[in-house]
Amino acid sequence: MIIPLLKVTNLSKSYDNIVGCKNISMSLYPGEVLGIVGESGSGKTTLINCLSGNLEPDRGKIIFSINNKETDFLNISESEKRKFIRTDLAFVHQNPRDGLRLNVSAGGNIGEKLMSVGYRHYGNIRSLATKWMNKVEIDKSRIDDLPITFSGGMLQRLQIAKNLITSPNVIFMDEPTGGLDVSVQARVLDLIRSLVNELNLTVIIVSHDLAVIRLLADKMIVMKNGTVIESGLSDQVLEDPQQEYTQLLVSSVLHV
Amino acid sequence: MRKTNNVIKIKDFKVDKGLPFDQEYNFAYLDENTKKMIRRAIIKALCIPGYQVPFASREMPMPYGWGTGGVQVTASCLTKRDTLKIIDQGADDTTNAVSIRNFFKKTSNIKTTEITEKATLIQTRHRIPETPLKKKQIFVYQVPIPEPLAFLEPKVSETIKMHSLSEYGAMHVKLYEDISKNGHIETAYAYPVKTNDRYIMDPSPIPKFDNPKMNNSPAIQLFGAGREQRIYAIPPYTKVKSLDFEDYPFDPFKAEHACDICGSKNTYLDEIIVDDAGNKSFICSDTDFCNKRKNK
Ligand SMILES: Nc1ncnc2c1ncn2[C@@H]1O[C@H](COP(=O)(O)OP(=O)(O)O)[C@@H](O)[C@H]1O
Ligand SMILES: [Mg+2]
Ligand SMILES: [Zn+2]
Repeated sequence: MIIPLLKVTNLSKSYDNIVGCKNISMSLYPGEVLGIVGESGSGKTTLINCLSGNLEPDRGKIIFSINNKETDFLNISESEKRKFIRTDLAFVHQNPRDGLRLNVSAGGNIGEKLMSVGYRHYGNIRSLATKWMNKVEIDKSRIDDLPITFSGGMLQRLQIAKNLITSPNVIFMDEPTGGLDVSVQARVLDLIRSLVNELNLTVIIVSHDLAVIRLLADKMIVMKNGTVIESGLSDQVLEDPQQEYTQLLVSSVLHV
Repeated sequence: MRKTNNVIKIKDFKVDKGLPFDQEYNFAYLDENTKKMIRRAIIKALCIPGYQVPFASREMPMPYGWGTGGVQVTASCLTKRDTLKIIDQGADDTTNAVSIRNFFKKTSNIKTTEITEKATLIQTRHRIPETPLKKKQIFVYQVPIPEPLAFLEPKVSETIKMHSLSEYGAMHVKLYEDISKNGHIETAYAYPVKTNDRYIMDPSPIPKFDNPKMNNSPAIQLFGAGREQRIYAIPPYTKVKSLDFEDYPFDPFKAEHACDICGSKNTYLDEIIVDDAGNKSFICSDTDFCNKRKNK
């Protein structure tokens, strides 16, 4: 029996009396890509923030099982939690500026994650950073340039490199192409897809764009008013949606 | 108990205690309750090497930037038996050093000296003397910015968390950037150190040349930041390691010159322009050390 890498049970989070997300249960297996869809305000960001440790949920259970070690994410000390987030998780923000230091060179940004998990050899950090710039298709001659000199698409690819360099076990992405010009979205999406395939990444990705989910996600959940109203294999849900709301989403009558 | 709780008033000196007429201040200016509070912070700081202990900094009769933190630490440690030395950039005769020395002469009437070995308490700005510090000496640094993580993280609540969880990876980003830009670690002053294998600490703006002197020193090293209201410390015989990379080890840079006055080859030198043609001279920044060596 394969143990889920992430198992979530009855997770809830509200803001005062506004529901963020409510009674969410789901599981994720190694190498799977889970897509979260739903209209604006349906709770996607709240959910992904709770799962990645950016936000403290009110109730529920989050269990990560990595290398036969269970981590009860909501019941560990803050120092254990921050260490776990640092070494095992990664978060790609919609706006790359939120995930990068703009006053630090591209190489320094990519290298920071390595240094934060203990790398202390400049030459090794630099060659790994170079390798990852190559992987995300940024010319390695730009390694000492500041991110402010980069285009939006390059910034997002830089953020992706920074996050993947330490081989995290789960990667969270909140609308990773949402802030980009339509013309560069495809390239970033294509890059994410090839990295997912090549590295067999486990990913939870939020998007309101069903094309993104169709392209990347093995399975998906549909959220509405903070709850999951439909879930399953992406192909199935997209081909044969059961809920009226999902049918509207798929037929693009609902503009999300 | 009665004695320490009793704040001595100016009036008490004159009338009740019969002390000299010109003694207008409590010994070393600060009142005894304030000193007690500061000593508590110092003792806590000594127990947790490199950890920044908050304290309620007092208004001093000098502006911030003139070493009000150091002055309060010194005032709290000073006893009537002490011999005090004050240096600024290694020299005893600069304005800042002279005014602080005069301040303590006036408020405590203790002995002062320029000779490092003779001092029991030394307050400094920007240098550690060349003469090795010894047992039973107290060495007080004036600190402008105590937080070594400030350039990375402006929120104090977050830097406190980073220290408590030893989240120091980003410190190396600065060194990484230095090497990438300059081929070596360019930071020359206030070069960050790790104290007792635990807390990352800003050694105040001393040149990195002085960093090795902090390691395993027999003296008590105290750091006072007045405006930022922090005290931290290195107890005697404590490991103090300058941050670096395995392949770019810490290098306490030394100018390729000998002192033009005393001939010393292993001291920190000030570079001074001596004439209109722009000719340079290199002399020890530690005036006491240089004088002694010259006169030998
Ligand atoms: N910080 C917050 N304070 C109060 N309400 C919030 C906050 N963040 C989100 N919400 C509310 O929670 C609900 C879910 O929001 P969110 O998780 O951002 O949804 P989505 O990412 O799907 O747009 C919305 O009603 C939103 O207004
Ligand atoms: Mg959102
Ligand atoms: Zn000299």
